[in-house]
Amino acid sequence: MIGSLLYYALYPLSRYVAGRHSEASRKALPPAQVNGKAVWDGGAVTTRRVTQFQKALLDQGLSPSSGTERGMKEPRGPEKEDDTRTKEQLVAVLHEETENGAASAMSEVKSTEAETRSGLQQDQVEAPEQNVGEITIHHEVLQVMQNTEDGIIVPTGDISPEKNSGAQFECLQKEDSTEETTSPVQDKIKMLTLEESVTPAEQSRQETTGPVRQQIQTPSADESTTPAKSAAGVTECWDEYWAPTADEAHGGESGSELPFSCLLSNTQSHLKLSRQHDTQTSWHFPAGPGLAEEVHCPLWQFPVPSYYPPIELTGPFEVMWRVWEELDESATAAVPLPFTKASMDFTVMSYNILAQDLLEVNQELYAHCPLEVLDWNYRCSLLLEEIQKWEPDILCLQEVQEDHYNEQLHPVLSDMGYTCVFKRRTGTKTDGCATCYRSGCFAEVSVTTLEFFRPDVELLDRHNVGIVLLLRPVVIKGSEVKAKGLPLCVANTHLLFNPRRGDVKLAQFAIMLAEIDRVVKSCKAEGEDCNLILCGDFNAVAQMSLYQLITTGELYIQGLPAWMISGREDQSHNSHCHRLYAPLWPSSLGITDSCQYTTAKMLKSQKSGKYQYSHDFIQQLRFCPAACVRPLDLEPIPGVTDDTPDASRESQPYDEGFNHTIRHRLDLESVYKHILPGFGNPEITTLHSEGGATVDYIFYTPRRNLTCNQSTGDFVSAGLKLIGSLSLLSENVLRSMRGLPNHMFPSDHLSLLAKFQLDLNAA
Amino acid sequence: MNNKFDALKDDDSGDHDQDQGSPKDGEKEKTEDEDQNIKKKSLSDVLQMVLPGAGEHPLQYNYTFWYSRRTPGRPASTQSYEQNIKQIGIFASVEQFWRFYSHMIRPGDLTGHSDFHLFKEGIKPMWEDDANKMGGKWIIRLRKGLASRCWENLILAMLGEQFMVGEEICGAVVSVRFQEDIISIWNKTAGDQATTARIRDTLRRVLNLPPNTIMEYKTHNDSIKAWEDFHGLVNPSGGL
Repeated sequence: MIGSLLYYALYPLSRYVAGRHSEASRKALPPAQVNGKAVWDGGAVTTRRVTQFQKALLDQGLSPSSGTERGMKEPRGPEKEDDTRTKEQLVAVLHEETENGAASAMSEVKSTEAETRSGLQQDQVEAPEQNVGEITIHHEVLQVMQNTEDGIIVPTGDISPEKNSGAQFECLQKEDSTEETTSPVQDKIKMLTLEESVTPAEQSRQETTGPVRQQIQTPSADESTTPAKSAAGVTECWDEYWAPTADEAHGGESGSELPFSCLLSNTQSHLKLSRQHDTQTSWHFPAGPGLAEEVHCPLWQFPVPSYYPPIELTGPFEVMWRVWEELDESATAAVPLPFTKASMDFTVMSYNILAQDLLEVNQELYAHCPLEVLDWNYRCSLLLEEIQKWEPDILCLQEVQEDHYNEQLHPVLSDMGYTCVFKRRTGTKTDGCATCYRSGCFAEVSVTTLEFFRPDVELLDRHNVGIVLLLRPVVIKGSEVKAKGLPLCVANTHLLFNPRRGDVKLAQFAIMLAEIDRVVKSCKAEGEDCNLILCGDFNAVAQMSLYQLITTGELYIQGLPAWMISGREDQSHNSHCHRLYAPLWPSSLGITDSCQYTTAKMLKSQKSGKYQYSHDFIQQLRFCPAACVRPLDLEPIPGVTDDTPDASRESQPYDEGFNHTIRHRLDLESVYKHILPGFGNPEITTLHSEGGATVDYIFYTPRRNLTCNQSTGDFVSAGLKLIGSLSLLSENVLRSMRGLPNHMFPSDHLSLLAKFQLDLNAA
Repeated sequence: MNNKFDALKDDDSGDHDQDQGSPKDGEKEKTEDEDQNIKKKSLSDVLQMVLPGAGEHPLQYNYTFWYSRRTPGRPASTQSYEQNIKQIGIFASVEQFWRFYSHMIRPGDLTGHSDFHLFKEGIKPMWEDDANKMGGKWIIRLRKGLASRCWENLILAMLGEQFMVGEEICGAVVSVRFQEDIISIWNKTAGDQATTARIRDTLRRVLNLPPNTIMEYKTHNDSIKAWEDFHGLVNPSGGL
């Protein structure tokens, strides 16, 4: 109220300041990144708050309410300049960034509408503004006011409202007194806002809040675009993939409504508003699509300050929203189909959900987290919400604790239509991997569970597991299979964590590859290509050796430092690091350096009925015990030697016993490119107090070309076409959300989600 | 069994030494040799028909290793092909193959005028064997130093059924000569161009040859004619 009055009094000045700010920030803004992308918040509280906050900021920069704040500030500045210089600056920083955020949000909204950004009018941005936003603004503004008036300085100098607002908000709200004092004003403003947007004709309210209302309406009146249109644009962009509701206005409304349902505990005003919008519950809300704004230091501090260094005022970074990114059709469809072909889209999610037992054992990794986000029941509900939200057709989970799987996850997932395969780790660890698929989309051909612990192989002394499924994509109508695709091999694993034991990871992974190879070959024997999805937590950083092996198909290992395999920990300073030497694993493991089984039954081609062996395979048996016995009937003629076979001697001239290079023959490409588009910041899939990195992947067989069997008219493209993926986030963004897990993401990993297309044949 | 058509004739060897005895010179000894061979074979048939051992990796075909060497010092005229060729052993599995191979000298370590032959069991390494008489061979001449590796790659591909030409493959030969080594792979039907082309392509792939390596296909018929022309012979009894 006071703020409103002050603002009114100083309206021209603040208006000028506001305009100047916005202009400046708009100029400095990078181009909008996200066009037509769906935005998802994960649906947890923190982000919802932030969302709200962001919206608030958006409004703040444009609507008089921000002017209110400014009105507060402007007069105070000169008066208190001497003694409260620091504070003044802080406020200014906050203020300015608010402006930035708002302006950039605005830009984004515009871009989704495919309008030229250069011609933007500030006022246009008001369109997507929601009632919600208004309320929040006021809420926030008032709190800021409160702070200013009371001389409370926000803990950190440079604030990143967009990113850290959740934390800030929280921290502000902890001051009960603030909350209380602000609420009356809030209410009034809220009412007024509602009037403005819903029933502008309501006069009674206008009387009490007349001045403010007028100001609010001013920009609205200037507005050149229709609110409906803007809102529609926003809604469209977020619901593009998952919620194709035709009712745009409704969609917009639902978007705005959602944050509130989650903010019930926050303020009364929120509660009230959410009641007003209880028409639809949805996960989608226009909360500032793909903001590409500059964000600065968070207001909160990690309990372990040594790890998270204070974020500098530099470096633009990206939105916290996870954005659904569709791949450009024109760019990928290099070869036009000669005729239309039935195809099937399916989504794959890979998710390390952080086993509760591991969380509790490694509490120091999660010391930065509020206790409530570490609670399993809370995390489980978020997790299931997330799965329900995306409804992946194939779900590959890691760190699934056995009791949680049996008691909670499996029942729920079964109800959702998933068939699940669970494999607990060997040893004493209680967690394992689970691969789930929709029985309506896939028929199970075979299941293999893999244990990487091999008591007879020294290297394989760790208890990790994997699951390899062979599925048949089917389209079922009624009880009849209408169409089917090429078999799909789905491999899911969680490799050893230990950053220094890259050799172990490599050997574990070789077992995985050998099994996949067997499955692929079994398909080939039936005359079919096999598409492949390989996902999981590899505990290996992108571009390091293990990743290189996966994507390029070979890795020279001789002398390679073990830490470099996964690269999770740079040991390059350590000259005594453990190095790899061929052979990495003994032949008793039964796996070649081409990551294939050495057993014959795997290699016998069933189709031709022939015993076919590769060069490598035959070589592998060269020094097996049965091959070293001198034949009884061998006559000592010239050309025959008395020498006994000796592996070391044989390997001298042309070392073929175990190559120095490990290879595989699978064609694999990563869904994620490990760099966020736009600024080029690295994206990460996991973060805890020992750091963040990309360690989770979805690899797939890309569609290289069309294989056409013209003689039979049978026409199926091998390979999968990547259609879209859910964007990851940068480390900075996640840090600004208090790291992981948090109120939005229930694990210390993010989920990976990709959508593929495969061809179908009529059954 | 006509030993006058010497499958090991030096038409492949490049040094064209002409000291090979006339086929007829060996006629007498041939019968003795043959008798021995037959005895030996029947014995092996009865007592030890070669089968893969338990847990071993069976091969699509059983194969026989042969070794031949032009005996230095002995007059060429008394030599016969069959005299000079010795069977090393028959094997039916990958393990059994290695058992023999590991106890054999590498081609690159052989001295003099020697050859290793690896043929399917029942096919003699001779042009006139029923399996070979309509056939031919791909010949690759190698500079010294390459024979061991190329030979190994070649026979592993053959044993592992990498050529994918059905029953067409008969066997392979490595010939150690004075200045160069020669490897060749024999197939049944020289006139089947699809097959010969496929064999050539597989050879290129599995041998990992230098790009400028020359590969030559020669029908056994041509080899026989060349041999006869060279020796000024009219075929006396071969009926070819």
